[in-house]
Amino acid sequence: MTAALAGVLGYFLAGTLELLRTKTGPCWGLVAWAGGLISLALWAPGFPESKLGGPLWGISLVGDPIALAFWCFIPLVHAAVGWHERRRPATFHGLVTLLVGTCLATVLSRDLFNLFVCLELNSLLSFLLIGFDARSRAVWASLQYLILTTVGMILYLVGLGLVYGELGTLSLAQISTLAVDFSTPSLAVGAGLLVAGAAVKAGVFLLGLWLPLAYREAPTGVSTLLAGLVGKMGIVTLARLAQALPVGPLVVSLGVVTGFGGLIYALWERDLKVFLAYQVMSQVGYMLIGFGLGGPAFFGALLYTVACCLYKGLLFQAAGQAVEAVGKRDIPSLAGRLPGPAAIGLAVGTAAIVGLPPLAGFVGKELLGVMVPPAFSWTLTILTLGTAASFSKLLPLFRMGPAAGERGAVTLLTAGVLGFSSWGLLSLPSLWAPSLWLRALAAVAVGFGLHLVIHRLDIRLPKIGLDRAALVSLVGSVGLALATVLWL
Amino acid sequence: MEGQVALLLAVSLLVLGLGTLLSRRNVIWKLLGLNVASGGAALFLVAVGHRPQAVPPILGWGPGPAADPLPQALILTAIVIHFATLALSLVYVIFLTEHLHTQDVPKLERGEDE
Repeated sequence: MTAALAGVLGYFLAGTLELLRTKTGPCWGLVAWAGGLISLALWAPGFPESKLGGPLWGISLVGDPIALAFWCFIPLVHAAVGWHERRRPATFHGLVTLLVGTCLATVLSRDLFNLFVCLELNSLLSFLLIGFDARSRAVWASLQYLILTTVGMILYLVGLGLVYGELGTLSLAQISTLAVDFSTPSLAVGAGLLVAGAAVKAGVFLLGLWLPLAYREAPTGVSTLLAGLVGKMGIVTLARLAQALPVGPLVVSLGVVTGFGGLIYALWERDLKVFLAYQVMSQVGYMLIGFGLGGPAFFGALLYTVACCLYKGLLFQAAGQAVEAVGKRDIPSLAGRLPGPAAIGLAVGTAAIVGLPPLAGFVGKELLGVMVPPAFSWTLTILTLGTAASFSKLLPLFRMGPAAGERGAVTLLTAGVLGFSSWGLLSLPSLWAPSLWLRALAAVAVGFGLHLVIHRLDIRLPKIGLDRAALVSLVGSVGLALATVLWL
Repeated sequence: MEGQVALLLAVSLLVLGLGTLLSRRNVIWKLLGLNVASGGAALFLVAVGHRPQAVPPILGWGPGPAADPLPQALILTAIVIHFATLALSLVYVIFLTEHLHTQDVPKLERGEDE
C-alpha cells in the first residue's frame, strides 16, 4: 500500500510544482510519470485491503484487479496527452498531472467518502481543462459539465448520509461483509442515490447528458484524457458499489438504457466528436451490464473497460487532430481531407471498436459475451450490430488528404490497442476459434448493411440543453431511488 | 426532536435549491440554487450523526453521549469542495458575461464565439 500511496502523492506533488512553473512543456509531469511506473512495479500484482490512518476509522484502500488494470494503462494515456500538448504552458500540464493523480487515487479507493472526494477533484480539474482555451463555447460546455456533475455529487452525498446512518460505516470492504439487504427503505433510497450520483458522473444516458457537449468542446488532448480515462471514474465507482451492495440489477438496467440510448443518438449524429461522445455512452452500456451481473462477467467487463479506454482514447485523439487540421466538424465535409496519422488512427480505432478480429474490441466483446447469461449476450449482439452500423459512416474519412499531421500520440495509443489485442489473443487461446472470427466478421457486415438502410432515413432527435439535462438527471435519480425501494 | 427538525430543514433546503436550479433562467441563480442544495446535503449529513440528548463531540464537554463526530469531519471537506466549485464557476460566469454579454441560459447555449 505504501508504494501505491507514494505514487499517488508523487503525482499530486509534481502537479502542484508544475503549476508554479512559468515555461512551456511538461517537466515535473515526467518525474511523476516515472514515479508512477516505479510505484506500480513495486505494488503489482496487488495488495490486500488495508486501512490508511489506523485500523478502526482509516480509509480502505485496495490493490485489486480493477486498480491494477487501470494503473497499467494510465501511464500510456498520460504519455500520449503529454506528448500531443507539449507546446502548452506548464499550467496545463500541472492540471493534467493532478487529474491523472486523482484517477490513480480513485481506482485504489474502497471508501464511499474517499470516492466522493476523488470524483469531485476529478470534476473540478476536468472543468478547468475543458475551458482551458478560453473560447466562450468551451467555457459554457465546462460550466454545464460542472453544474450537472455537482447535482450528481449532491445526490451521492445524501445517499452516503443515509447509508452511513443505517450501516455505521463508509468502508465498502466492510459493507460487502455485512450481507446487506434492502428491507429498510432508508438504506434502499441511500443505495439508489449513490448509484444515481455515480451514474451522473459516469455519463450514463439520460442521467449524465453533460457528456456530448463537454467532449465536443474540450481541446484535443483533454478529450483524449476524458474519453480514455477520466470518464471511466464514475464507472469504477459504480463497479465498486455493485461489489459491495446488492444493486446489481439497477446497474444492469442502467447499462441497457445507456447502451441503446447512446446508440440511437449516435446513429444520426453528423458532428464527428459528438458522434464519438454518444458512442462513449453506448459503450458504457457493455461495461455496466458486466459489472452489474457480477461473477465472471465482472472480470470480462473490466477487460472490456481497459480495451474501450484505449481505443476510445485513440479515436478522440485522431478525431481531435482531424478537426484541428481541417477546421470543420461534420463528418461529410471532413471526408478525404484528413492528415495521414489522423486517418490511420480513426481507421484502427474504428476497426477495434466494431470488433473486427483480432483487435482489442473483438477480445473485449467476445470475453464479455462468453461470460454473461444468454439473454444479455443477445443484447450485446444487437449493440454490436448498432455500433458497426453507426461507425460505417466514418468510412469516407479513412482516405488521407495531402496535409501532414503529427504522429506521436496516435502511434502511442495505437501501440496500446495492438498491445492489448496481442495480450488477449496470447493469453486466451479460446479466442482463436474460427467460428468466433466468422461471427464477428458477419456482425460487421450486417452492421454495414443496416447503415445503408439507416442513412437514408432523416430523423431529428430532440436537442438537450442544460435545463432538460438537469431535469432528466433529477427525475432519473429519484426514479432510481424509488426503484431500489420497490424492486430490490 | 432536534434531529428531526434538522433533517426536515435539510430536505427543504435540498428541494428549494434544486427547484431554483431547475426553474431560473439566469446562470447565477442556478449556481445559487446549487449552493443552497449542497448546504442542504451538508446539513443532512450532520443531522444523521445526531443522537438524542447528545453534546457536541469535543473532549471535556461533560457527561452524556456525544454526537457522532465522523459526519461532521466529512462535511468540512465537502464544504471546502463546494466552496471551490462555486468560486471557480463564478470565474467562468464572469468570463461568459464579458464575452457574450448575457447570463441567460438559453442565450448562452446559442452563444457564438466572438
